[in-house]
Amino acid sequence: MSQYDVINSRATRIDSQDKATGRAVFIDDMKMPGMLYGAILQSPLAHAEILSIDTSAAKKLPGVKAAVTSQEAGLIKYGVSPARYDETIFCYDKVRHVGDNIAAVAATDLETAMAALSLIKVEYREMPAVFTVEEAMSDGAPILHEEYPRNICAEVHQEFGDVETAFKECDLIKTTSFVNKRQDAAFIEPQGCIADYDLSGTLTLYSSTQVPHYVQRTLAMVLKLPVGKVRVVKPYVGAGFGIKAAANHIELAACLLSMKTGRPVKMNFDREQVFLHGRARHQFFHTMTTGVKKDGTLMALKHECYLNGGAYSSFGIATVYYAGSLLGGPYRLPNMKYDGYRIYTNLPACGAQRGHGGVAARACWEQQLDMIAEELGMDPIDLRLKNMMVAGDVTCNDLNMSSLGMKECIEAVKEGSDWKNKKGRLPKGKGIGMACGFFVSGAGYPIYRSDTYHGTAVIKLTEDGGTALVYTASAEIGQGSDTAFAMIAAEALGIPLECVRLESGDTDFGVDLGAYSSRQTLMTGHAVKEAAESVKLQVLEVLSRELKIPVYDMDIKKGVIVFKKEKPDFSGLRTRYIKEHRGWTDNPAPEEDLSFREASRIAYLAKGSIVGTGKYKPPELGGKFKGATVGTSPAYGCSAQVVELSVDMETGQIAIEKMTDAHDCGRAINRTSVEGQMEGSVSMGIGEALYEEVKFDDKGRVINADLAEYKIPTALDMPHVETIIVESNEPNGPFGAKEVGEGAIMPTIPAILNAVYDAVGLRIFELPLTSERVWTAMKIRAKG
Amino acid sequence: MLLPKFDFHEPLTLPEACQMMSEFGRKARPLAGGTDLMINMKKKIVSPEHLISLSRIDELKAAQCSGNMLKIGSCVTVAELTESELVRKNCSALCTGAKALGSPLIRNLATIGGNIASARPAADLPPSLMAYNAKVVLKKSSGERLVLLDDFFKGPGLTELQADELLTEIQIETPPPYSGCGYINMGIRKAQDCNIVNVASFISLDAPDGLIKTARIIMGCVGPKHLRACSAETFLIGKKASEELFAQAGEAAMKDCSPIDDFRGSAEYKRAMVGVLTKRTLAMAYEEVRSEN
Repeated sequence: MSQYDVINSRATRIDSQDKATGRAVFIDDMKMPGMLYGAILQSPLAHAEILSIDTSAAKKLPGVKAAVTSQEAGLIKYGVSPARYDETIFCYDKVRHVGDNIAAVAATDLETAMAALSLIKVEYREMPAVFTVEEAMSDGAPILHEEYPRNICAEVHQEFGDVETAFKECDLIKTTSFVNKRQDAAFIEPQGCIADYDLSGTLTLYSSTQVPHYVQRTLAMVLKLPVGKVRVVKPYVGAGFGIKAAANHIELAACLLSMKTGRPVKMNFDREQVFLHGRARHQFFHTMTTGVKKDGTLMALKHECYLNGGAYSSFGIATVYYAGSLLGGPYRLPNMKYDGYRIYTNLPACGAQRGHGGVAARACWEQQLDMIAEELGMDPIDLRLKNMMVAGDVTCNDLNMSSLGMKECIEAVKEGSDWKNKKGRLPKGKGIGMACGFFVSGAGYPIYRSDTYHGTAVIKLTEDGGTALVYTASAEIGQGSDTAFAMIAAEALGIPLECVRLESGDTDFGVDLGAYSSRQTLMTGHAVKEAAESVKLQVLEVLSRELKIPVYDMDIKKGVIVFKKEKPDFSGLRTRYIKEHRGWTDNPAPEEDLSFREASRIAYLAKGSIVGTGKYKPPELGGKFKGATVGTSPAYGCSAQVVELSVDMETGQIAIEKMTDAHDCGRAINRTSVEGQMEGSVSMGIGEALYEEVKFDDKGRVINADLAEYKIPTALDMPHVETIIVESNEPNGPFGAKEVGEGAIMPTIPAILNAVYDAVGLRIFELPLTSERVWTAMKIRAKG
Repeated sequence: MLLPKFDFHEPLTLPEACQMMSEFGRKARPLAGGTDLMINMKKKIVSPEHLISLSRIDELKAAQCSGNMLKIGSCVTVAELTESELVRKNCSALCTGAKALGSPLIRNLATIGGNIASARPAADLPPSLMAYNAKVVLKKSSGERLVLLDDFFKGPGLTELQADELLTEIQIETPPPYSGCGYINMGIRKAQDCNIVNVASFISLDAPDGLIKTARIIMGCVGPKHLRACSAETFLIGKKASEELFAQAGEAAMKDCSPIDDFRGSAEYKRAMVGVLTKRTLAMAYEEVRSEN
């Protein structure tokens, strides 16, 4: 039995009925009186100078209320990291990728808005474009941003320990290279928003976003409004996976158009525009050299990585840092050198996607570790266990593993998959493979340098005391955070989950950095817990005065006041409560325990509204070197997976048959939600490993910008996933909880790579493992 | 993406529909399930001024067997094909193809006629239909004609259909004894995919354990239209079925196709897969022959 009354259970999500019945409101369901429809004009060319833009014909079209370009929008630069603000709402000097943004219109209906776009005349002078890292870095290549020669958007050079000296002590040194492909996160709901600039000068933006707070700040900065006059509200959101973790062009354009017209303006991306906006996983080119001792002791890693970044920075600086820093664990690695380069190219910008920066790096390295294990004659699990960190270890790049159930995860999947009877013993064409991974449980620092709280929460009791209202600005985007916070509030306050109502995703409710870097359960969770404890204390303090019992001799559990010592005579309080409710038919009977409802009504009578607040920010984390902040976190989630698959020896087709997946989430707030994240991660990992690739033609146009040709796994492609929750009780987490959102994807790709090797004896260093790629590898081997 | 403007017609009878087709000609497109047409209209690949819905014409929605002839109305949905006992019993490979098409949502809307008339070289139903030697009825106000499906396809999106004609029925002679058919489609993932290669193979023997009398092998995605593997078919005739024989037929089929490199796969790979799928579908067909004995 769990020691908890609410958390650690399989409580039904608080939004599941709304979602199952279609009552849940998403942007596309929303309409406002007088609302206009906006549309955005995007570049058909990958790289071109803008000679002129003429919107006059568009403006004359009946029904068109406004047409805006950089003339109206201004040239204030924004982006994700203040160190690389390199975007404007609309291009003014040149366009840098197909889909770059030029102008927007608002009209009484979408048909008219689309017709108006076709009337905007843009004169371009086409320029040579670069699409690959090699092209972009070559001598004389066209430059995307004048300030960044050779198109190097960001570079990282770090060394911890002394790699070259360590290599001299190694018995085996292994070098491999690896490349993944540009991803699309393929969330089900394309970006969309409604901007409403009202008569009092307040701008409200309803948007499908992961980060209301960052969007609020970007709107205020770019549109020159006080933060207090900008409100961002997030309705239900159909996922984001990192791509919606920053302000986008239609959010800004819709606001600008609403400010121009004084009317609400709705804008949506269609699926093709989702691809043209990009911001999903980069393409990474990794080269890694690892040195080990004969006994398998990891000594050093030398790592070089190039990222094809696309036309703008987006999250890219963090990405190029993460690609290096996230190899610091979960193995003891005393020496690590990293050189990373993020390169601008004339493609849509890449950004952050589940497992930010670390997924391809993890795939490269975990495959290499398997190769090393084989050469040393060790079981790959033994090699990993030998080098595994334990709770309290600090990586060479100063990441503190305050809890780490990695060993437990490995043992769980080893047991759960019957590894010892399968590894090396399966027939040809069948394979088993494993890998590990870890990830931050919330970025240690905000995207902009600041001492801000990362999350705040407010809990207010209703005057009858029956219900706790929880307000946070956090972002429920489908992952279940609303339910997690309602459960945390109920647990901390000592009341049933049904007595909590929760509102979230509104910047008016406080500050919350939002749903990215797997941060909310830990960070917002802390804030909610603190607010709930404050409310609880306030109620108990009033009771203490009324009953002359010290606060510490009382508690609230399951909606009832618990008296730890002798039960006092509270009939006076009860009589007062009942007098307040003459005519009510559900007043407590004399023999009943004193309820939370009665107690909080008494507290309200004594103090007015009972409001508790909570807040959280991590302590100062990490080292002092350049880029030390990226990768820091108050806690790290970790996982291990064993995959079993078969390879069709004639076609090269891979069928994933079973996945045994263990994840250390510290403490599961909602066990079903944890498993949901684990299974969702496996699905995304399988897609990236086997199918997914955004493809371009030689003009930089996406040729598979829809979900028919961009292949994510279907239900039929999903194997049975055996999920095992490992709970390490994270000291820095609320009730011991930490992440499961992103870390869970880390082992999937390398586990598949290692299983393919087990099945057919081939190491493949390029994703995706389409049937053709596997078939080709087998054919090349057959030729010798 | 928005649909362009068009006039919508909903005839209740086939003569009425034919009348409209002859009146509007090339300005009109018949609308069956719409799973292909609506997307192409949204993408502005086609912008017909008139859509003539066939969904209210009951006679297009029936499947029946009279004598040795299976007749399937062109508006029978793919989902209905997957559930039809008549289809499963007489043309199991058509049932396999129907199950492989799209997703349950698509199958509920898409029709057999639409999957044929859209003439996409990767379509799931034509290979087995051609393997069963199916014919299609093309109807217009002034009469109708019966065309062998082999002769119906002219190229990607191009068919024998005239501007005023409707594809109203698919006719399949029930296969002779000692015959079987297999269909395999191969894509990147297991469902909802545009095929990389698909193959259907039909064989019939002259006696329960006899020699191959007839062979039809149809290859998709490896030419401008579905292709017959003629040399593979010829090679099989008069021979005794075996794994070895089917592998050799696969080798022959590889020479019968003309795939191109595209973003879904290289020509070399598609050609190799024709070999594998031919071998495997022949084995499926032979398995069916034997299971009926």
